[in-house]
Amino acid sequence: MAETVLELAGLSKSFGALRATDGVSLTLRRGEIHALIGPNGAGKSTLIRQITGEIAPDSGTIRFMGRDLTGLDMPARARAGLARSFQVSSVASEFTALQNVVLAVLGASGRVFGFLAPAMADLRLVGPARAHLGRVGLSGREAVRAADLSHGERRRLELAMALALRPKAFLLDEPMAGMGPEGAREMTALLAGLKREAPILLVEHDMDAVFALADRISVLVYGRIIATGTVAEIRADPAVREAYLGEEA
Amino acid sequence: MTREGAVNAVILALLAAVALAGAAGDRPFLVTLAAKVAILGLAGVGLNIALGFGGLVSFGHAAFFGLGGYVAGILASHAQNYEPVAEWPITIAGTQEMLIIWPAALAACALAAAVIGALSLRTSGIFFIMITLAFAQMLYYFAISWPAYGGEDGLPIYLRNAFPGLDTMDGLQFFALCLAALVLGVGLSWRLRDSRFGLALEAARQNPERVAAVGIRVFRVRLAAFVISAAITGLAGALYADLNRFVSPAMLSWQTSGELIVLVILGGVGRLWGPVAGAGLFVFLEHVLGGVSEYWQALLGLMLLGVVLFARGGLLGLLAGARRHG
Repeated sequence: MAETVLELAGLSKSFGALRATDGVSLTLRRGEIHALIGPNGAGKSTLIRQITGEIAPDSGTIRFMGRDLTGLDMPARARAGLARSFQVSSVASEFTALQNVVLAVLGASGRVFGFLAPAMADLRLVGPARAHLGRVGLSGREAVRAADLSHGERRRLELAMALALRPKAFLLDEPMAGMGPEGAREMTALLAGLKREAPILLVEHDMDAVFALADRISVLVYGRIIATGTVAEIRADPAVREAYLGEEA
Repeated sequence: MTREGAVNAVILALLAAVALAGAAGDRPFLVTLAAKVAILGLAGVGLNIALGFGGLVSFGHAAFFGLGGYVAGILASHAQNYEPVAEWPITIAGTQEMLIIWPAALAACALAAAVIGALSLRTSGIFFIMITLAFAQMLYYFAISWPAYGGEDGLPIYLRNAFPGLDTMDGLQFFALCLAALVLGVGLSWRLRDSRFGLALEAARQNPERVAAVGIRVFRVRLAAFVISAAITGLAGALYADLNRFVSPAMLSWQTSGELIVLVILGGVGRLWGPVAGAGLFVFLEHVLGGVSEYWQALLGLMLLGVVLFARGGLLGLLAGARRHG
């Protein structure tokens, strides 16, 4: 079995009476795309936010690269190699595409406190940033303000920023959200290539993309994982069909 | 030269021209006004680093403006009276040397800002505004109630502090000194804005969550910005004390904090020369309209409203167009 990169064990989180995460255990292994699916409100984003360190779980542990993440804040987890994209595109909208990726390269470098030398003339920052933009197909859009990019381009910009962190795992929260079929196809191809670099925990509603990409799927319903398995196993699982896939399967 | 560059050059030339005309036409009042614009501009350049680049609306920068002023005033008053500032644990003599006073003012303001910032930057929005205001008010009331340095009456500086090779009592020479400090201040804020630190700071203004997600600690970046911002405003305060040869608690008052914000907004938030343009406009209005009616600030309020509603870029936005990134 491939090496486990990320391991959640018995993770629970309640908001008042609502158990948003209820004893979740799952693993992300090297080289795989592990898709997390579930109906709206199943607690997918809450789970992601516990992994990134935005919110603290009530109980359970998160181990990443053999290391307990408890007590590490969001920047520390990012620097440890956890790259995430947001469900709603989250970039510095006044900055150009290139500046956004330079920011991510800067974050990964850990050397933020340079006060005098111009950042955008620093090839150690701009060089890798250009390369990452090229990988997501945004080379021609470097100088465009993030606010003026199309929705699909902004999603790819986010991916370039995630790449810039040279991550050991990607947490991608609905990278296809709001994309047209063409954009979704391009993103699918992009993600298929990405998993060789680092495994991906993929939250996604687009079932075509999930079935095309995922090596394993976990189904989250009301904060609990009701099934984990390969695409074929999940498709065949009667509990999953009943709880979630319904007509779609 | 870009259009903004041209506008900046005109602002600088205009300021120098007013001072030179005042000196040539034997109207020292004009020279003093020009020096006041340069000093308030420098204070605004400081505030602009926090407010404009970082989006940190400090309503307490008077604390640093006044603290810088009091550092100059206190050191000078001890030198005038031949009394050491402190005798224990080491003897610290008073001084009238600007080259000693300035680093002292910078250090005092940086230290104060490190403490105030460390507490207030844990909040944001309206709470940040209120906490910075509260700290400035604390210093204000402290200055009023502390009799050793004049209390409510303020502290006079009989002769302007000295700078090697210059006669600081000569209006034009003092103006030149203020202008040099201003140009250095603007130069520094330009380098800061384009640096790694500036990129992180400006990104944190737009989207702090994203900045944290790429592994940068927003709090530290903001704290550093707040400290640098305060130190520059404090240096302006030290110069302002010398300009008036007088320091009073008014420099620490919330009205001063408000005026600094006003001139940054008037000139153009986040623009390198915006605070200088704003200071020029502010002082111009104060003296031209102030001569016509004592209610000139009502008109200032109206202009501010106009800027906020219709011209977010301020004076520089109107003259030089929208700011470009990258």
